[in-house]
Order: sequence, then structure tokens, then C-alpha cells
Amino acid sequence: MNNSLALLGLLQRQPSYGYDLKHSYDRYFGTEKALAFGQVYATLARMARDEFILALGDETGGGPDRKQYRITEAGQERVSDWLFTPDVPSENLQSNLFAKTVIALLTDDDAARLLELQRAEHMSRMRALTKLKQGASILQVLICDHGLFHIEADLRWIDLTGARLAQLKKELQGA
Amino acid sequence: MNAQAQTAPILSARGLRHSFGSTEALRGIDVDIHPGEVLAVMGPSGSGKSTLLHCLAGVITPDAGSVTYQPGPAVGQSVTISSLNEAGRSRLRLTEFGFVFQFGQLLPELSALDNVTIPLLLNGTRRKDALQRSAELLDRLGLQDNGTKRPSELSGGQAQRVAVARALATAPKILFADEPTGSLDSLAAENVLTQMLQLVREAGTTLVMITHDPRTAAYADREILVRDGAVAAGYQVAP
Amino acid sequence: MNVAILRLALAGSRSAVGRLAGIMAGVAIGVCLLLLLWGAADGLAQRDARGAWLRETGGPAYQPPVDGDPHAASVPIPLGPDTMLVARPAEHFRDSVINRVDVAALPDTSARIPGIPAPPKPGEYYASPALQELIQETPADQLADRFGSFAGTIGNEALPGRDSLIVVTGATESEIRSSNGGAGLVSEFTTNPYGDNALAYRTAFLAGGLAVLFPILLLISIVSNLGAAQRRERFATLRLIGATPGTVARISAAEAAVPCLAGALLGIALSALVRPLAAEIPVNGTRVFIDDLATDWTAAAVVAAAVVLSAMLAAGQRTLGAGTGPLGVTRAMPEPMPTPRRALPLLAGFLCLGALAFAAGVPELRSPWWEIPFMVGGFVLIMAGLVIIGPWLTLLVSRAGLRFARSAISVIASSRIAATPSATFRSVAGLVIAVFVVSIFAGGSSALRNVGVPAAVPGVLQPASVRTFIDPAASPDAVDALATQVNGTAGLHATVAYGSGGYGTDESGDQIYIEAAEAVWLGLTEAPDAGTAVLDAGFLNAWNREPVVASASPAILPELTPFAIIVHTDAAPESVDRARTLLVRSRVAAGPPMSPLDDAATGSTRLVAGLSALAYVGMFVAVSISAISLAVATASAMLDRKRILGLMRLMGMPASSLRRIVTREAAVPLLTVLLLAVGLGFLVAWMMVTSLGPAYKMDWPGADYFTALGLSLGIGAAALVSTFGLLRTSTGMSVTRFE
Ligand SMILES: Nc1ncnc2c1ncn2[C@@H]1O[C@H](COP(=O)(O)OP(=O)(O)OP(=O)(O)O)[C@@H](O)[C@H]1O
Ligand SMILES: [Mg+2]
Repeated sequence: MNNSLALLGLLQRQPSYGYDLKHSYDRYFGTEKALAFGQVYATLARMARDEFILALGDETGGGPDRKQYRITEAGQERVSDWLFTPDVPSENLQSNLFAKTVIALLTDDDAARLLELQRAEHMSRMRALTKLKQGASILQVLICDHGLFHIEADLRWIDLTGARLAQLKKELQGA
Repeated sequence: MNAQAQTAPILSARGLRHSFGSTEALRGIDVDIHPGEVLAVMGPSGSGKSTLLHCLAGVITPDAGSVTYQPGPAVGQSVTISSLNEAGRSRLRLTEFGFVFQFGQLLPELSALDNVTIPLLLNGTRRKDALQRSAELLDRLGLQDNGTKRPSELSGGQAQRVAVARALATAPKILFADEPTGSLDSLAAENVLTQMLQLVREAGTTLVMITHDPRTAAYADREILVRDGAVAAGYQVAP
Repeated sequence: MNVAILRLALAGSRSAVGRLAGIMAGVAIGVCLLLLLWGAADGLAQRDARGAWLRETGGPAYQPPVDGDPHAASVPIPLGPDTMLVARPAEHFRDSVINRVDVAALPDTSARIPGIPAPPKPGEYYASPALQELIQETPADQLADRFGSFAGTIGNEALPGRDSLIVVTGATESEIRSSNGGAGLVSEFTTNPYGDNALAYRTAFLAGGLAVLFPILLLISIVSNLGAAQRRERFATLRLIGATPGTVARISAAEAAVPCLAGALLGIALSALVRPLAAEIPVNGTRVFIDDLATDWTAAAVVAAAVVLSAMLAAGQRTLGAGTGPLGVTRAMPEPMPTPRRALPLLAGFLCLGALAFAAGVPELRSPWWEIPFMVGGFVLIMAGLVIIGPWLTLLVSRAGLRFARSAISVIASSRIAATPSATFRSVAGLVIAVFVVSIFAGGSSALRNVGVPAAVPGVLQPASVRTFIDPAASPDAVDALATQVNGTAGLHATVAYGSGGYGTDESGDQIYIEAAEAVWLGLTEAPDAGTAVLDAGFLNAWNREPVVASASPAILPELTPFAIIVHTDAAPESVDRARTLLVRSRVAAGPPMSPLDDAATGSTRLVAGLSALAYVGMFVAVSISAISLAVATASAMLDRKRILGLMRLMGMPASSLRRIVTREAAVPLLTVLLLAVGLGFLVAWMMVTSLGPAYKMDWPGADYFTALGLSLGIGAAALVSTFGLLRTSTGMSVTRFE
């Protein structure tokens, strides 16, 4: 999963201090491993350099956690791109997709559409694998099947998440 | 798929709406189905997939919208299914369409072979010819030794293949399948599916197949996703 | 028994209500009909006993000639203070028989006649109320003049039924002795059982009871099977949560017990209500007294217990027969296939009837002691045999049908019948039985029609003529006076026939003489133009069917003795009865007037004819019940497979094809066994007719049989059609949903 894009997405909700950003991030995505402060500031610095964000009211003498950041238009575009570009189905897709969904919900974006696009991507990948199976050796069929089952698992997760979007949104907003 | 998009759709639905009492099962659906394609219809339970299929096949008449069937390139050949009467739709279903369901669609008292002959006989084929064609189909589906068995003596996968044979017996233009592998395990499902697809593709039959199973849907050329009685964003017909 | 389990078993679905109501109705109808039949059998026997005095012939009125000297005159036995002289001349009015009893008694006789205070004086009569009514409604010259003056009515205790036509007329001793009707000396009218019909009634009603009971049990069995699919599931659930098969059996018995008992009470009440209506049905020429149909409480209890028990058995058997295990019936259990062994009961029945048929020709073998049980046993065996063999025959026919089937409809219907022959046959079994019973009575009544009024044939006594023999003691002047009186009446013409001696005397030859001009009145076409014609005396016999030829004779009529008087009528019923009345009143007749028309009203034919009215009522009941059974069975089979039929429609099978399938599934088993039922019905009828006597011959059934047969099939067809609405709705497209 792409930490920087997730942080950028979180910023899209409202301008925040680095400190708050880290805590938001931890709450939504850091259940297993919290983000280190150093990593947050490094990422923020990089994004500021790329002009995806702006530091507000640059209070002199304050450390990075005393700085408030705001997303720029370029940043917003970057987030949107990220959200609505389906990922190639792969092993580590899940956390990214999850982050995208959460961000979309948090920012009142069209999470359902995001999932559907991902779904279509998965399906076309599955179709391709299924085509490969035709007339293939049994060994190859088994490999394809392995891939198919994995993609299918993702797909099922996508479908399930799609069915639970409303519930998820309520929970996120409540939190 | 681009090639298909250029040919005229064999079945085309516009603005389909249908309600059961206060339940709105379809809320404005547009679909185009192209000749020879295999289309998977997916979507959550209760989203209206079966209702859509029934409307497309002329099993029920939608409250609003139209379904047009165009079996060939000639212009005058198209039929507006949604405005036919019951007898006309029955005849259309009998001669032009085939149906496969999840289970329990075979007449329990008839042998597998006789089950397959029914649509042929209804079409006026002589029984001898019907039996011959049915036996061929069962052969193709690997059921040569099961022709005399009753459905209760067949396994689920065998029964499903008999159902496929019956649906294809009349060489329909469009085959409608509602979760055809829904009650089978992965391997049996795959066997039934590949055999069905092989026959369908050979004959150039159009297949519209509802399924919950992504791996089944992956056999299709294309899929649409139905959600809350409408085709989900990203699967809509290009205007 | 666990209350929760019971509640689960009874959990009210609509089909459960239908089942319970159906069982209750079946039991109610069964109890009601059987009670009526029981009452009728009993009542008719009582009725026969009440009428026994009418059959009293008494002792001889003459001392036999001493020493067997054939020429010695017999000596009359004089009337005593405790005896009556009784003659019973046959009396006819229109097409009914009037039971006429002529009595002569000393004025202070102590002998008593049932139903009246004292024997009527000469010229007076006592009549049953029905006859008296008839007398008053009819012009006197057709009826009243035959009897004299009215002295009073005969009490009910001496009358078989409400419509009994009975008259007791007073006469002088010499009148009765001179009448040729065979007078007897009676000291007491006993209840002589000889010649009664009680056994015949009981036999007929036993058979009738079985014929009615069977469709009812069938109905109950079919109704018990309503919603079979759902029920199997429910019982499977019960088994799954721990109920033993015994518990399930007890539950279904308990379930049937409540509607059964309610139905029994309803049936008893119903029978009391219907009794006056049933009493309107004429049996053997008269309607019965309502009280005769009443049954006591023992009968009610016995009938109710029998019906309730068999209903519960029928219901419980159907539940147990399903053999529900804890896993339910995931796959349809195949019906056990019928085997050729099912032909056995029918063959046994054949043997019974065969034995009877054989014995009919051998008088030494005949005895009611074994003939009645064989008759009833054969009847029951054949009836049961028909129902038992039905599924097997149905199976054979449907298998052959499947082989030669050409349409989808016949493939589907034949396969279904071949797979479930018992179930498909069961739905029409009632109709088969009804047809069987109708055929029996049609065969029986065809024999009776045979004995009807003969057609007018030249050279044979005209059907609408009345004739009587003339008392040799009568003066020729009196005979002439009678002839003149007859000729003076509109529509009548009298012909006097002469003999070489008076009627009954040794001098009378076997030829009679008439004026040649009269020949045309007698229907003689071949006769001389003038003078005297002579013809065979056999002409006067009512049964003579050989045309008689009259030839010229030199005889001079006034030199001969008047022998008979033949009255030609214009065939109007009024004229015939006027002729009868004139002849009865005249004092020259040597016996009651006779007419070929009389035969239509006489004899034991009346009994069978009377019973056949009852049979048609029974048939109607059986057919109606069977039609209900057919409708219920068809509907429940349809509901049980509505999903698959719905899918057939979805595939594009038109609704009309589904109707044809359902129709065929009822028609094939019915038609398969129909011919057999008809044939066996006529066979049984033939047995019964033969046992009546050699005079009766079976004939082709009349139009009313085909009407009844057509009606039965029509009612069945209507029952079937009534389920078509259900077919349309129950196979609507929603049934294809799997949820
Ligand atoms: N005959 C009917 N009567 C009432 N409601 C119906 C009927 N058929 C369908 N519905 C309703 O219409 C909606 C769509 O039903 P439909 O059967 O088309 O769903 P589906 O997508 O096929 O679901 P599944 O995947 O479970 O088969 C559901 O809410 C269902 O309850
Ligand atoms: Mg569905």
C-alpha cells in the first residue's frame, strides 16, 4: 500500500497537523503496525516538494508537528487518479484497495465506482487466465487455477465490501 | 468485443422496469446482447438478475421498456418481445430460446433421453428423429450410458448436463442460464460449463448466463453487473 | 405426547385446513349414506313383514273329491264363525297393480283382517289412503265402480308403504266361490314370511353399501394426501427432532381422529335431515314411511365407529406409507411397481360368478344358502379386484403408450403414469366403481324392459285389449247385455267369443268361434268375409306371439256357449280402465279381466325396477364423490409438481398442452379399466338376472344407460376441467423462483 497517497487522501478531508495525520492514519490503517513519526514527516516533506501539499502558517521555530498542511489542486488530482485507477490484481493489492476505499469514503468520493472498476479489472484478468487454460497442459491449468482462486478471493472481498459500503461509511464517520 | 459492438445486437433491452408489488426489481435497465457472445450477468442476491433474464426471454412482460429480438441481419426480422402476447412469447421461447436453471428442471418421471426430446417433440419433430438427436447430444455431453436413467438416478452434474442437452436440443438462437452450475462443486461445475460452452460456441449460440461465481463468469466474453435493479456503473451500454 | 410436537404437526397451513375439512366431509357423507342404507334395508324388511297378510292364501275352500274319483263333484267347505272366504283377483289400474282382497264372511265372524275393524259387508270396501285418493281423483267408471261403496281406510299398520294400493272388498259367499280366482278359507292373517323380499333387499343394500363406502374411503384417502409434499417435510422435521416412527403414526392418527369424530356426528345429524327426502324415493312401487328409515342408536354407533375407524386407517396408512425418515424425502421415492399378482382378486371374483352361472343351469345345485354369499362375495371381489388390478393394467397401457408416443404430451403423460400407476389410477378409481355399478343396474333393467308392452302384431291379441272368460253359469242374455253396454261406451268395442262348451268345462274345445265381421276388431287380418270364423283358443293367451289365422266355419254362434269377451280399446289409458271396470262390475266374468298391458306392471320385475331407481341415486352419489376425489387428486398432484410444470411452461410449452397432459393422465387409467368395468358390470347383472328366473333375458342396455354413463364421464370431465384454473395460476412464472 502506498502510505504517501493514503496520507494525501487523509489531507483531502481537511487541513491537518502532522501529528493528527499520523493518528488518523494509525486509526484507519495502522492496526498492525503504526506509522513512525519520522516516516510521516519525510513523506510530508516529499509531497510538499512535489507541490501536492502546502504547509500553512509556517510558525517559525515549530517542529514539523507544529505545522498544518493543506492539499493542493495537484494533490487532489493525484488522489483521484489513485482512487479510480484499478490496480493490477496481485498479492499485495488488498491493503491498497482497502486504503482507497476508506479514503474514498472519508472524502465522500464514489467508493462503489472504485470497487466496480477494480472488479472489472479482476474479471478481465480472470477471463484472460481462463482463456489460457483452454488447451493448456494440466500443469499450466493448475497454475492458472491458483491465480484464478486468488483473484476470486479478492473479488469476493470486493463484492462483500461493496455490499457493506453504507455500513462502513457510517462507522468511519462515527469514529 | 469491438467487433461484436459493430454488429447489430441480437437482443436489446431499453429502459426495462418491473415491480413485484412494492418491490422494484428492475429500475430502468439497458442491455445489448450480441450474436454469438457469452454474457455473464452478475450481481448480489435480490438485485434483479433473474427478473432481468425473465424479461429478456419473454417469460414476463416488463412494466415499462422494450425488449427487441433481432435474429438476423434483415431489418424486418426484429420482434418486440415485450409487446407479444402470451402465446406468441411461448412460441418464441420454444423455437428461439433455450433455458437451463440451477436444479430441479427435469421431469422426474421421464428418462434422461425422453427429457431431452420434449422440446423437439413440442416443435413437431418426429419422435424417432427426436430420440436420435437427443442421443447424439447426450453423447456429446458424455452421458451415453445414462440415457435410460431417471433424473433421481443421476448425479447433480449429470442432471445439469441433461438439462443443457435439452436446452440445446432445438438449436436455439439464445440460451438463457440462471445459475446453471449453482448447485455443483468446482470440478463438476467446470466440466458442465466447458461442455456447455463448447456446444454453444460451436453452434454460434448466444449465451446469457447468470452466475454468482466469478470463475464461471470468467468463461464469458463479457459481463454485466446488476445492482439494485440497475446495471452498475462501468457496465452500461455506450449511448 | 408432546404438546409442542402435536402443535408442529397441526401447524395450520391452508392445505392442512383443506385436509381436515375433507376428511370430516368424507366421514360425514359416509356415515349419513350408510345409515340411510341400513335404515332402508331394515325398513324395507319391516315393510315386507307388514304386507305379509296380503300374501295369505288360506286353506282350500273345497273338500277334495273322495276316493280320487275325478268326476265326483268337490264339496264346498262351509263358512264358519271364525273363517272368511278370500279371493285375490289381480286388479290393474293404468300401469299399477292394485292389491285386491275379496272377502265373504258371516255377519258375526270373529276372523279379523289387519288394519280394518271388521270385514266389509258385500258391496262395501276398505281402501288404503293412497288408493282412496286415487279413486276420488278418477272418474267412477274407470275405477270406483269396481269396488262398491267406501267403508273406511285401512290403517297404516297393515300397509307396506305410503303409496300401497290395497283394497278389501266385501262380497257374497257365492260370488267368491264362483269367481275363478281360487278362493281360500282364511281363519287368521298370519305374518307368513314366505315370498318376502327381505333377503333380496339385504343383499342389494349390502352391495349398495359397499359400492357407496368404497368411493368414500377413496375420497378420505385422497384428501389425506393433500399437500403430501409439505407434510412429508413436516414429518421429516419431527423425525429429525427425535420423534419415533410410532410417534409420527400416532400424530397422524390423532390428527385424523378429531375431524373423523366431528364428521361422524355431522353424518348422524345429516342422515336425520335427509331421511324425509330419502323416503320420497319409491322402492318397489311405493315410497316408504319415514319411520321405516329410522335407525336406532346402536346402528348409528356401529356405522359411525366403522366409518371412523376405516377413515383413520386410510389416513394413517397414507402417512405411514410415505415412509418418512429423519432426512425427509430429498429424492422422490419410487412407487412400488404393480405386479401381475394384482389380477388375483378379480379372478377369484370371476370364479364365484362362474360357479353361480354354472349352478343356474343345474336346478339341484341351486340354494340361496350358498348362492347369496357367492353373489355378494363375487360382487365384492370383482369390485375390489377392479380397483386392485387397475394400476397394473394402467402400467401396461402406459408402457405401451410410451413406446408408441409421438407427441410431447403423450411422452410426458405416459411416463408419469408409468412411474406412478397406483397414484394416477387412484384418482379415477371411484369413477371406475361408479361405472361398474351403473352397468350392473343397466344390465338388470335391460332385462326388465324386455318384459314390457309388446307391439301390436296382426293375428295376435292386441296389446290394448282387455278380455275376460265368461262364467259358464252366466246367461247368454247377460253376456249380450254386457257387450251392448261396452259397445255403448266411447272408445270400446266388445267381441264375444263362443266355444263348444263354457270356460273351464270339459266340453270346451281348443277352438273359439266369432262372427267373421268381428275379426278386424281382434286384429285378425286373415279371416273369412262373412258368416262364422273359427280360430285357435290359444289366441286368448296373453303370452301368445304366434299369429293366428281365422277360417270359415259352418258353426252357428247362438248354438254355442259364450266363452270369452274381448274388448278392443282405442288404447287410451282411460278407455282401458273403463273396459276393466265394466268387466269387473259385470257378474258374468269367470275371473279378473286381463290385458297384455298388465304384464308391464306385474311380477318381481317391479322389485328390480324399484331397486334400480335407488341404484341411480346411489350411482349419482358415487359419481359425485368420485368426481370430488378426482378433482382433489388432480389438484393436489398439480400443486405437488407445480414447479416442474411451471418450468415446462417457461420453456415454451403452451398452457393448453399442460391441460392436455393433465387430462390424459386421468383419461388413460380411466379408459383402460372402463371397458373392463362395463363388461364385468354386465356380467354381474347377467348373474342377477339369471337368478331371477328363466323368463328374464339380458338385452342391450337402453338409452338411459348411455345417458348415465355419459353423465358419469361428464361429471368426471367437469371435475377435471375445474382444476384447470388452478393449473394456470399454480404454474405461473413465479414458481420458477428457487428462494
Ligand atoms: N415473483 C415475485 N414476487 C415478489 N417479489 C419478487 C418476485 N420475483 C422477484 N421478486 C423480488 O424482486 C427482486 C429481484 O429478484 P430476482 O429474483 O430478480 O433477484 P436475483 O438477482 O435473481 O437474486 P438471486 O441471485 O438471489 O437469484 C427481489 O427483491 C425479489 O424479492
Ligand atoms: Mg435469481
